[in-house]
Amino acid sequence: MSEKTATKRKPKSSQIPFALILLVGLIFFGNYLFTKSPNLVIALILGLAFGYILQRSRFCFTAGFRDPWLTGSTSITRAVILAIALATIGFFFIKYKAFLAGAEVIPGNAHFVNPIGISLLVGGVMFGIGMVIAGGCASGTLMRVGEGFQMQIISLIFFVLGSLWGVHDLPFWNSLSKDAPRIFLPDYFGWYGALAVQFALLGAAYFVAIWWQKKKMGSIE
Amino acid sequence: MKEYRLDCLGEACPIPLMKTEKKMMDLQVGDMLIVMIDHSCAMKNVPEWARTQGHNVDIEEVDDGEWEIFIEKVK
Amino acid sequence: MKEFFLKISNNEIYQRLFKNPFSYVAGATLLAFFNVLTFVFTGNGWGVTGAFANWAVWTLQPLGLDVSTWPSFASEAAQKTLAGGFLSDGVSVRNLGIILGALLATLLASQFKIKKIKSVRQVVAATVGGLMMGYGARLASGCNIGALFTGTANLSVSGWVFAATLLLGAYIGSKILKKYLM
Repeated sequence: MSEKTATKRKPKSSQIPFALILLVGLIFFGNYLFTKSPNLVIALILGLAFGYILQRSRFCFTAGFRDPWLTGSTSITRAVILAIALATIGFFFIKYKAFLAGAEVIPGNAHFVNPIGISLLVGGVMFGIGMVIAGGCASGTLMRVGEGFQMQIISLIFFVLGSLWGVHDLPFWNSLSKDAPRIFLPDYFGWYGALAVQFALLGAAYFVAIWWQKKKMGSIE
Repeated sequence: MKEYRLDCLGEACPIPLMKTEKKMMDLQVGDMLIVMIDHSCAMKNVPEWARTQGHNVDIEEVDDGEWEIFIEKVK
Repeated sequence: MKEFFLKISNNEIYQRLFKNPFSYVAGATLLAFFNVLTFVFTGNGWGVTGAFANWAVWTLQPLGLDVSTWPSFASEAAQKTLAGGFLSDGVSVRNLGIILGALLATLLASQFKIKKIKSVRQVVAATVGGLMMGYGARLASGCNIGALFTGTANLSVSGWVFAATLLLGAYIGSKILKKYLM
C-alpha cells in the first residue's frame, strides 16, 4: 500500500483491569443468584456466552437480512443459515428423543412453533423495518448496550415500551388470525422427512445467497 | 493520488458502510480513502466490502474502540 | 502495573485469544452450540424479547400501570414471573448476561468506549426502530432469535415465514434508511 497518514496514536491503555473487576463482580452476582436458584446461574452463564460470542464475531442477524439489499453481500446471511442448520441437528435429537420416549408435548413446540397468520406477517415486516432503522435487533441491541452505545440504550428503552404496547394490542391481532395454523414439519413429513425438508430449504437458501452476491457484487470472496 | 477522510465516528451500522460506498465513487484510481469509525461491526463489514470490491485495505486501531480504515482504490 | 497490563494487551497470543474478531462462521457455530445447550438446560431454545414486556411492567407498575386485566398476563405462569421480579426470571437474567458478556468482551479487547449520540437523527431512528421492533416482536411471538433462529431450528414453518417477512421488512427499512436517515 502507498504511504498513509494515520492519526497520531494516543498512548494506549489496557482495559484488562476493568475486565477483571467485572469478572469478580460477576462471581459475586452469580453467587447471589445461586442462593435464589441454580437455574439462574445457568441463565447468567448462557447469557454471558451469547453476549461474548456476538461481540467477538460481530454477529449481526440484522445485517444478514439488510446487507443483501444494501451492498449485495450475503456473508452474514450464509452464516445465519449455517447457525440454523447446526442448531437444527441438536434440536432434532432433543425433540426426537422426547418423541421416542412418548412425550405428549414435544419440547420447544409450545413456545416456538407459532401460529402462521396475519399477526406473524405484520409483526415480521414491522420487526424487519425496525431493526434496520435502529441498527440492530434484540440481541444486537443488548450487545451494543454492553459495548457502550448510547443510541442503543434509547432503542432498548423503546423496544421495551413497544413490547408492552404490542402485548396490549395482542387480543385484537389474535382475533384477526383466529384459525392460524401451527405447522410443525414432523407432523407433515415424519421425523426424517422433516429433517430432509428443512435441509433442502436451508440448502436452497444458501445457494440463492451465493447466487445473489455473485450477481450483485461479482464475487463471493 | 489524493487522500480523503470520511468521519463516521458515532455512526451506527450500516451508515459507515453506505457512506463509504458512496464516497468511493468520487475517488479516482490510486486515491486513498480513510474512514474513521468507532462501531465495532463496521470495522469488520467496511473492510470486507472493500476487499470484495477488489480494493487494497488496511485497518489501524488508533484508540480504544476507534479505527481508521485505509482503502486504496485500484479499479 | 499499568505497563504489565499493557504488555498483556499487546501480546500476540492474547490478541488472538481475546481481541481479534472471530469469523462469522465461527460465530455461527458457537451460537448454534450454545442455543442447543440452552435447550438442554432450560427445556426451551434461546429467546430474548419474551421478557421485554415484563421489563416494562416492572418499571411502570410503581407509576400506576395495572396489567391484571390483560389477557396476555392472565396465565398463572405469567403472574408468577411478574410477581417474582427481574432477578428471578431466567430470560431477564440471560438478557442481562448478554449485555455483560459483550461488555466483558470489549473490556478484554481494550476497546470499550462510550459512543455518544451524534445527532437528532439517531434519536429518532432509535425511538421509531425500537418501538417497531417491540410491537412487531410481540405480534410475531419473537425476534431474530426466538422467532427465527430458535423457531426454524424447532422445525417450525412459522420460522421460515418470519424469515420471509423479515427480508421484506429489511428491504423497506433499507429504502427508508437511504432516503431519510443517511
